Amino acid sequence: MSASTNTSYGLLASFETPADIMDAAIKCRDAGFTKWDVFTPFPIHGMDAAMGVKKSQVGWFTFAGGFTGFFTGMTMIWFMNSHDYGLVVGGKPLFTPLYAFPVSYELTILFGSFATLFGLLFLNRLPRLHHPLLAVKNFKKATDDGYFLCIEAGDPKYAPEVTRTFLVEQCHARLVETVED
Amino acid sequence: MKMIPQSLRGVWALLALAGVLLWGTAPLRAAEEHAAAPTAGAHAEAAPTEAAAGTAEGHEAPAVVPVFSLKQFAFSYLTAYMFCLSLCLGSLFLLIMHHLFDAGWSVSVRRVPEQLASMLFPHMFLLLLPILALQNQLYKWLTIDPATDHALDVKKALFNRTVFNILVPFLVLSWGFMAHRFRSLSLAQDKDGAAIWTRKARVLSAWGIYWFAFSLTLGCFYLMKSLQYQFFSTMYGVYYFAGSVWVTWITVWVLALILQGRGPLQQVVHNRQILDLGVLFFAFTVFYAYIHFSQYFLIWNASMPEETFWYVRREHGTWKWVGFTILFGHFFVPFLALLNQDVKLKPAMMLPIAGWAWLMHYVDMTFNVMPVLSPAGLNLTFWDPLLWFGMTGILLFGFWKRFHASPAFPLRDPRLKEAVTHHEIPPAPESASAAVGVTTAAHH
Repeated sequence: MSASTNTSYGLLASFETPADIMDAAIKCRDAGFTKWDVFTPFPIHGMDAAMGVKKSQVGWFTFAGGFTGFFTGMTMIWFMNSHDYGLVVGGKPLFTPLYAFPVSYELTILFGSFATLFGLLFLNRLPRLHHPLLAVKNFKKATDDGYFLCIEAGDPKYAPEVTRTFLVEQCHARLVETVED
Repeated sequence: MKMIPQSLRGVWALLALAGVLLWGTAPLRAAEEHAAAPTAGAHAEAAPTEAAAGTAEGHEAPAVVPVFSLKQFAFSYLTAYMFCLSLCLGSLFLLIMHHLFDAGWSVSVRRVPEQLASMLFPHMFLLLLPILALQNQLYKWLTIDPATDHALDVKKALFNRTVFNILVPFLVLSWGFMAHRFRSLSLAQDKDGAAIWTRKARVLSAWGIYWFAFSLTLGCFYLMKSLQYQFFSTMYGVYYFAGSVWVTWITVWVLALILQGRGPLQQVVHNRQILDLGVLFFAFTVFYAYIHFSQYFLIWNASMPEETFWYVRREHGTWKWVGFTILFGHFFVPFLALLNQDVKLKPAMMLPIAGWAWLMHYVDMTFNVMPVLSPAGLNLTFWDPLLWFGMTGILLFGFWKRFHASPAFPLRDPRLKEAVTHHEIPPAPESASAAVGVTTAAHH
């Protein structure tokens, strides 16, 4: 943001239909913008590809969490029931992965889902208290029937007038507003 | 997608290698087992309830069944039959699910399971006849008097010759009827495109899912589980079901890819269908493991002889290693291989996995059927690959002919457009796709 000379956060373009914003997203992607995002009231299938979003990295957090959970469960049960305080139940062996599996499996899911949630928040720089877009009155429609595309001023290809013209003429935005930082 | 022939060669090479390894070393391992464990003792240990009921198999059956005997042929035949039945019943399930959920995405590949399921009649029905003819070789309970065996006496309402010979053909015919009805409704829609055909198929699915669940359970109880009629497991039906649908997903995946790559499905099957078929195959990898683990775990935990004898026998000799092969080969290998989403679109990965899945499902069927014949350990004969390849060959050849005799996809299904056009976004140019930053990940 320090690159831009004025105090604006970026340009917010609004669209009327999912098809319009999908089309606009493809154009922004192909124009080479890097710091931009779309906001819609519901997920639009195919928007990831239209925006050229790369595959999410959250899966790695999930895998690490699940892996940790599984071995935590196995180790915990082995330590408690066999190593630290041997406990005979139903004449079964003190430890076997067989009976430790259900608990380890549950911990795989638990740790996996925690890692997913916190990995997601971490990658998205969340939580945060305020966002400049929330000051735009019109933006409230993003949770109802509005489709928005915002190009940030920090984008290397951003130039206030040229980008505005691009959004209106190439992307057919219904309205383009400047967002104050 | 154009690299199918090369990859297929790899699959066959893999299968052939596995076959040679298993088959070629069988006599060696059998001899080893024979030396290690005297058969009489082995039998008494392996089947406590059978022994308790006074019908220990060890005293009657010879230790090694001659290769050229009806008994060996019957067991090898049953294993191959259960494998082929899996593909047909799995396809029938795919159709039922498609219509129950009113699915759109799978319309363009639907004719593959439609034609594959329709092989239930006449092919699978005719292939059943040798099993009925050889029933005395296969099912021991047919030849013993229930009055002398409590385990059989309590089950004689189902396990008696009359009910067996009426019910088993009836079950296969009922599946054949359902499959042909799905197929003919779909073909009728090709002519006029009316929605009524979709509705009729949905009505068929609505009652069909109940009959499918009930009849599949009954069918595999009769054909496979009753080989050891003393066994109790209410999960046995869903266990066979899970493995069947698992192997069907990957089979449909391969068929869809072949038909897309060099033929009639080129315009209607896209990456989305291929990906979702792979995703569902992955889901059933986990589902099968869940079901089989649950069956084993509950039996292990309860530790009741009338249940444990089934697994005790399958932990005997080389069967133990077959069991481990299922644990690692049926679950861990495909699970870890398919964990990454992108793999499901890569034929170079998926085709070997498909060959592996076929082998693993066959190993699973062998694990269920064969320990009854050779308790000492795995003992493959030339009948096994011969009948397996022969029967699947008949099935797939029949399928291929039938598939090409009618349109390759539902031409005028109202949901076809949804399947063909949905989710298809032009890919990003190379330069732009690499430049999108982390901020856009907020969309997930």
